Amino acid sequence: MSEAKKRLFQELSDAVVDMDEEKAVTVANEVVALGGDAYQAIEQGLSSGMERAGQLFDEEEYFIPELLMCSDAMYAGMDVLKPHLRLDGVAEKHKVVIGVIEGDTHDIGKNLVKIMLETSGFDVVDLGRDIAPARFVATAKEIGAKIIALSTLMTTTMDGMAAVIRQLDEEGIRDRFKVIVGGGPLSQGFADRIGADGYAVNAADAIRLARSLVGAELGAAA
Amino acid sequence: MSRDQMTPLARLAAYAAGEPIDRLPCVPIVGNTAARVIGVKVGDFRGNGRLIAEAQVAAYRLFNYDIIRIFTDLYTQAEAMGATVHYPEDETAYLAAPALADLSALDRLRPADPLKDGNLPHHLEAMRRAVDAVGSEVAVTGAVTCPFTNASFLVGAENLARLMMKDKAAVHKLCEVSLETSLAYAGAIIDAGCTPSLTDAMSSMSVISPKQFREFSFPYLQRLIGYIHGRGKGATLHICGKTSGIWESMVEAGADCLSLDNDASILEAKHAVGDRVRLMGNVQPSEVMLQGTPAEVRRATLACVAAGHDNPRGFIVASGCSLPTETPFANIHAMLDAVREAGWPVNRKQ
Repeated sequence: MSEAKKRLFQELSDAVVDMDEEKAVTVANEVVALGGDAYQAIEQGLSSGMERAGQLFDEEEYFIPELLMCSDAMYAGMDVLKPHLRLDGVAEKHKVVIGVIEGDTHDIGKNLVKIMLETSGFDVVDLGRDIAPARFVATAKEIGAKIIALSTLMTTTMDGMAAVIRQLDEEGIRDRFKVIVGGGPLSQGFADRIGADGYAVNAADAIRLARSLVGAELGAAA
Repeated sequence: MSRDQMTPLARLAAYAAGEPIDRLPCVPIVGNTAARVIGVKVGDFRGNGRLIAEAQVAAYRLFNYDIIRIFTDLYTQAEAMGATVHYPEDETAYLAAPALADLSALDRLRPADPLKDGNLPHHLEAMRRAVDAVGSEVAVTGAVTCPFTNASFLVGAENLARLMMKDKAAVHKLCEVSLETSLAYAGAIIDAGCTPSLTDAMSSMSVISPKQFREFSFPYLQRLIGYIHGRGKGATLHICGKTSGIWESMVEAGADCLSLDNDASILEAKHAVGDRVRLMGNVQPSEVMLQGTPAEVRRATLACVAAGHDNPRGFIVASGCSLPTETPFANIHAMLDAVREAGWPVNRKQ
């Protein structure tokens, strides 16, 4: 890779960390003008920036407002680069269905997990908030998702998470999906009790969990 | 287990004066669980101050905790300013849409009139009725959502977070008009014979930085607490999630008691600010109170007592946040019983 491209990728990464939407767009356009590889620019530039931002969040240097601004810069750069992706060269991504369970409209946590999953190379379908359990199952089947990610901040909606798993069981398709849960009132113990495949305490943890779950599955299949 | 020797009011007064008490004050923060005590649906509380009071008084009489808090959800003030709140038939209400779709209507936002707008008059009625029924033996408080958190319900939490980085003046406007509502509501609560109980979920370090807290939340909290002090009342301030980096600021804002979530450590708070404020907390509402057994509740409660009982400015054994609606009664009894078992002075061997 040429030094010029390397520098541009670094600038993309910095634009995300610096929450600089305009710079992300400008540099992404430069990459395109130079005929740079869009996939590499996303992976080594924008995604790397979002990963650094996530690291700063873990270290309590960044908080939710900063992370949201970083993600705005990342998506702005992504919008420029996406039309230039050469699809043939890109491995098919694992699909994730994510949403906030019915009865709750707190979605900042879910949005952060979605952003970080996309950054980490997952193809994420976001159902939004206040979503009935049956819709998670229907969408997961429809798109062939590997992972169903459920979020809630309210204890009143925790039963909805169990309902998703019950429905998967009833339809005899439980083993086709990994179900992961997260949110304020939850714990590993709760995840175990409802038979989820994993619990994540925050967005960074959710990425580690998702990666290990699809990795484990690939390993088992091999 | 022998029942209590003192009324909650007598206990809190003696505790504040450094006189002997029968047990530490204990507050499992009962919100909509009160509906279960009298066998009504949570949705029935909407617009029904009489029923909220009846449920809260019955819950107090059943469990004998030390403070009644009139609370159904965080959105009553925002609703009175134009936010849309969804009321499920039998679950806690939630925000369906913020008051403003975009900032173009910002200048048309008006503070709520607590005597007229939304469900605020019904909550005030609940407070008056609870005071009439049991005010001679127990403190009745009314939950007030603090300005920064209320501002997030006016424009949506994500929008507010972005505005903090892009348009600080707009955030201050939202907090200012929210403060006016909080002040008016706090005043009406005091007029009703109650004490405002401050809750500020979004000011948490789980959401914003300590620096952002200083800039956008602290000034309004300080003015709100200043007003409450001016009316002769103390202020308990609850902030959810992580708070260790803002304890100093919460104290400086004037709070007399910090109510801490289970993401915060009572032991650390005691060492950091316990010489200046009373502490309250922090048995896990979901993991222990909702999902645990009475034996687990007992263990968690005794651990809390051990961490906080010698706080220089006093300690109230409490849940880390409002209890989930379906918290088993046996667990609430177990929390009070553990505090009775610990006694006073606290038996250190437990």
